[in-house]
Amino acid sequence: MFSITGLLTISGILFVAGAAALITRRNAVAALMGVELMLNAANLNFVAGWRYFWPERLDAHVAVLLVITVAAAEAAVGLAIILNLYRKFGTVDLEQIRLMRG
Amino acid sequence: MILVLLILNLLLGGGLAWLAGRWSASAARWTALVVTLFELLFVGLLWLRLEPAEGSPWLAGIVADWIPNFSVKLILLMDGVSLLLITLTAVLGVLAVLVSWREIQENVGFYYFNLLCVLAGVIGVFTALDLFLFYVCWELMLIPMFLLIANWGHAHRKAAAIKFFLFTQLSGLLMLVAILGLALTHFQATGAITFDYRALLGTAPGSLWLMLGFFVAFAVKLPAFPLHTWLPDAHTEAPTAGSLLLAGLLLKTGAYGLIRFILPLFPEAAAAFAPIAMTLGVIGILYGAVLAFAQTDFKRMVAYTSVSHLGFVLLAVFAMNLLALQGAVVQMLAHGFSTGALFVLAGALQERLHTRDLRRMGGLWTLMPRMGAVALFFAMAALGLPGLGNFVAEFLILLGAYRANMPLAALAAVGLVFATIYALWLLQRAFYGPVASEGAPRDLRPRETLIFAVMMAALLWLGLFPQPVLDAAAPALHRVPGVSLHVGAYVRGPRSPARVRESAHSVARPETAPLAEHVRNGDGSVWGDAKAGRGEAPAPWGRAGTGTSTIDDRRGGAR
Amino acid sequence: MTHAQLTALLPVILLAGTAVALLLVQAITRSHRVTAGVTLAGLAAALVAVTRALPQGATPVTALLTIDRFALLYTGLLALIGIGLTLLSFLYLAGRTRLTGAYYILFTLALAGGAVLASSAHFAAFFLGLEMISVSLFALAAYRRDDPAGIEAGMKYLVLAGVATAVLLFGAALLYARYGTMAFAALGTAIAPGAGDPLTLAGIALVVAGIGFKLTLAPFHLWAPDVYEGAPAPVTGFIATISKAAVFALLLRLFTQVHLREHPALFAIFATLAIASIFAGNLLGLRQMNLKRVLAYSSVANMGYLLIAFLAGGPAGAIAATFYLTAYLPALLGIFTLLTALSGRERDADAIADYAGLAWRRPVLAAAFTVLLLSLAGIPLTGGFIGKFYVALTGVSAALAGSPAFWALVGALVVGSVIGLYYYLRIVLAFFQRTPAGEEPAAITRRVPDAAAIVLTLSTLAVLWLGVLPGNTLTLISLLVEEWFR
Repeated sequence: MFSITGLLTISGILFVAGAAALITRRNAVAALMGVELMLNAANLNFVAGWRYFWPERLDAHVAVLLVITVAAAEAAVGLAIILNLYRKFGTVDLEQIRLMRG
Repeated sequence: MILVLLILNLLLGGGLAWLAGRWSASAARWTALVVTLFELLFVGLLWLRLEPAEGSPWLAGIVADWIPNFSVKLILLMDGVSLLLITLTAVLGVLAVLVSWREIQENVGFYYFNLLCVLAGVIGVFTALDLFLFYVCWELMLIPMFLLIANWGHAHRKAAAIKFFLFTQLSGLLMLVAILGLALTHFQATGAITFDYRALLGTAPGSLWLMLGFFVAFAVKLPAFPLHTWLPDAHTEAPTAGSLLLAGLLLKTGAYGLIRFILPLFPEAAAAFAPIAMTLGVIGILYGAVLAFAQTDFKRMVAYTSVSHLGFVLLAVFAMNLLALQGAVVQMLAHGFSTGALFVLAGALQERLHTRDLRRMGGLWTLMPRMGAVALFFAMAALGLPGLGNFVAEFLILLGAYRANMPLAALAAVGLVFATIYALWLLQRAFYGPVASEGAPRDLRPRETLIFAVMMAALLWLGLFPQPVLDAAAPALHRVPGVSLHVGAYVRGPRSPARVRESAHSVARPETAPLAEHVRNGDGSVWGDAKAGRGEAPAPWGRAGTGTSTIDDRRGGAR
Repeated sequence: MTHAQLTALLPVILLAGTAVALLLVQAITRSHRVTAGVTLAGLAAALVAVTRALPQGATPVTALLTIDRFALLYTGLLALIGIGLTLLSFLYLAGRTRLTGAYYILFTLALAGGAVLASSAHFAAFFLGLEMISVSLFALAAYRRDDPAGIEAGMKYLVLAGVATAVLLFGAALLYARYGTMAFAALGTAIAPGAGDPLTLAGIALVVAGIGFKLTLAPFHLWAPDVYEGAPAPVTGFIATISKAAVFALLLRLFTQVHLREHPALFAIFATLAIASIFAGNLLGLRQMNLKRVLAYSSVANMGYLLIAFLAGGPAGAIAATFYLTAYLPALLGIFTLLTALSGRERDADAIADYAGLAWRRPVLAAAFTVLLLSLAGIPLTGGFIGKFYVALTGVSAALAGSPAFWALVGALVVGSVIGLYYYLRIVLAFFQRTPAGEEPAAITRRVPDAAAIVLTLSTLAVLWLGVLPGNTLTLISLLVEEWFR
């Protein structure tokens, strides 16, 4: 079995990996995946907290289900936007899509 | 109520002028002229119908609730100093409208709207005695002034306008923080929050930081060295009436603030700060004069003379005695007319010659003798010729400053020499010598002659009969805490001649005796002995009759 | 669910219900007018429900929401601004796209999300409300499929909002792991003042960062200007007003209930964020030529000012912050109304140059615009000034009461305001530019539709009213906010 420290470390690594994907990957889909990774790292935290500290409470389960649902909605809208992006620009490379300064 | 009327007249009149301007330009001009003439009329009524309460310096006023949550009130109160400055505002208001008559041809209605709004804001500043309201008026006179400069100014008007606004805004916000600090200090002491000036007196007499917050705001407006850098730009780029209002009124709000707020609210801190402030004043006097001499742009040069003249005011306020303060008040009025007139002159020249460059002028006297005479008059006023207002003011200031700080007063006196140099230099370059410009520029028009005549009359009056002015200001100045009153022996005030003599010889105040003796010997007559009411009408606020001297004696004494 | 709970929840129910109703309406008619009309009716009903719910005190509705007067005040404010934005959206969409139904559904959902945020008492509700706003908004930002800038803005907002949510959620999860609860009140009693264990600190820091993203505090503001610029004008208006106000309401509640202000480390973080935002917002705004970008940076700075009141805490801080927002929202609404009304089909009128000569050609519009901008700059006789004044009052008060750090914050407020003034003045000066007849920018010659004129008039009057006679509003706000501090 994992220890709580181990679980939290893994979730931390996932979180940082997601953030890194966001910052370094120029592909819009990859960026979206980065966000999903970060959300799932949070989910892992909830589960770890439940398993090791608060096994009698159910908040974590509800929270995880909620996050999964909302993340799905977010991904759906996100992919729709990326689709539009591709139609309009012919690419999903965020570096090449720079109409505005910033 | 009359104070509200004064402000509303200008605001509503401004709106009316704007509307009239959409119809025709000259309708806007006449509307503005009528409004300012009405304003002058109201001010005249104010002089005639003053009914001061016994023991109170306030001659008229109104107090009403405004924002109860912060105990902010609408407090408009007027004392003698305010009255004088309001009068100045009304007179210069009429002149400013006249000056703009031909110069402004675009969007005339909106121009006069802004002009009248500036006047309304200035009157608000001179009468608001709730600190919140004061700050509001302080800011509100800026916006129309900003628009005046930015829209009707000369080549680099926008940059100059923005610089002007940012300088004032930064210092204004510092003042706001100081106001908050003061009100909250009062809150901590008494458990009640208020912005009422009268309640806040004595709250934090020794707080240097709070005083500095106020000081910076007023020093920027004054302008005091080294916060003056916005002034030459703003003056140079502003339209003529804008320069007139800037020099005549907006700078006075800074001086007024020093007298009205710094000394009464923070007497101890001001006393501690006085040496620095007086030094800044003297630096301003000399620095302004030297730079004025170095300018080639007519307006820029006059702007620097303003720095120099208002250095005297700063010196006077922090000399912290009645004599100097009286001088400061006269200086505020005299400078308003003399420098204002020079700006009008610059405007008139620019209209005719299409340049303000002094190097391209010369021999103008032969071309325009009347204008030359006018220029001579105002140059003499600027250099402090006896008989004109500036002389009275600077003399009183030097006398007062001498008592407070001899070396600085001596240095400041050097400023007068510099003033002579730059004033004569100006005349020499522009009006004497070979004719430099082509064509035959037209001499003064009747409208311009009228403007200059009013200003000349005002300066002569201030120079020859300043006593009503001194009387008007005296009761208010007497109440400024921290000001040593015993120098008031020279000037008619609420004290009886007998007591004045006593104090002059009093053992309890030995430091006053030598100066009093000195003056007495030099003069051959004891100022305090002169009979009241010599030659002047008694002042309307009822303190006349206890007076002691006339200014004529004093000038005679100095000669 | 008791009657009281139902009454309290009714505004949120009505907002969400309007979204559902709009879905059903789409099955019957695609008429733009009907859709917008239903939206307006729903918002108005929610507003009425707010007034009905106000008399009763704080009502907990499940563990997730606590609907107290503060929440209702913000819900009402959001609904009011929402009504204005609905009118703008109607004007904007008419003639630009034929697909209007989904827009209003997303719009109402986002508004419901704002109401949930304002009344949430639990991280789950926080998360839900935030996502309702965010997901709707990035869809709205990219709503015009013919507009590449909008799609890019939507994409950027997607990434931005996603990161914010993820960071926030990660922090909440850490706090849950440590304390076993996600309810604000329970966390408030569980977290010892000055608790310094790594889980708590990391958790709080991440929550703060998430909120920072949503409020576009520096250094989390990076893509905000792009989103502002690219999104359609009414959507930018929504992002600038409703989503900010809702998140700020939540921040106030979270920190008051969890007593986080007593943590010195957090205080330092927020003070740094405030100062950084004030300077970043004002300095970066200086060189912008695009009105929407200027507003983006202005909002960064304004959030910084708000944080000062928030840090000062206590009833005065909450009242000051709430008043500040109350004055800030109509000013922005008015500006976006003008922007929308004067925008052309091809391009939003968002360049400063689009307004050159406005004052000569359309003096009334220019006067209103100037008032609104001066309110943002905090010049007297506008609501913005009273707000800033109150913020400075709480700041100086806190400084005199023994936290000298507030002097730095007040100093930043002063310096920042002056720097910021420069870019507002630049816009005002553009109004006064003299352009030869016939060469005016197209924007200033366009007719302002009646609906926009009404919204503009009302918001300008609101700004002036709040600036000249703020007494009643201040009293009202203090009555509503006081509940927390009794």
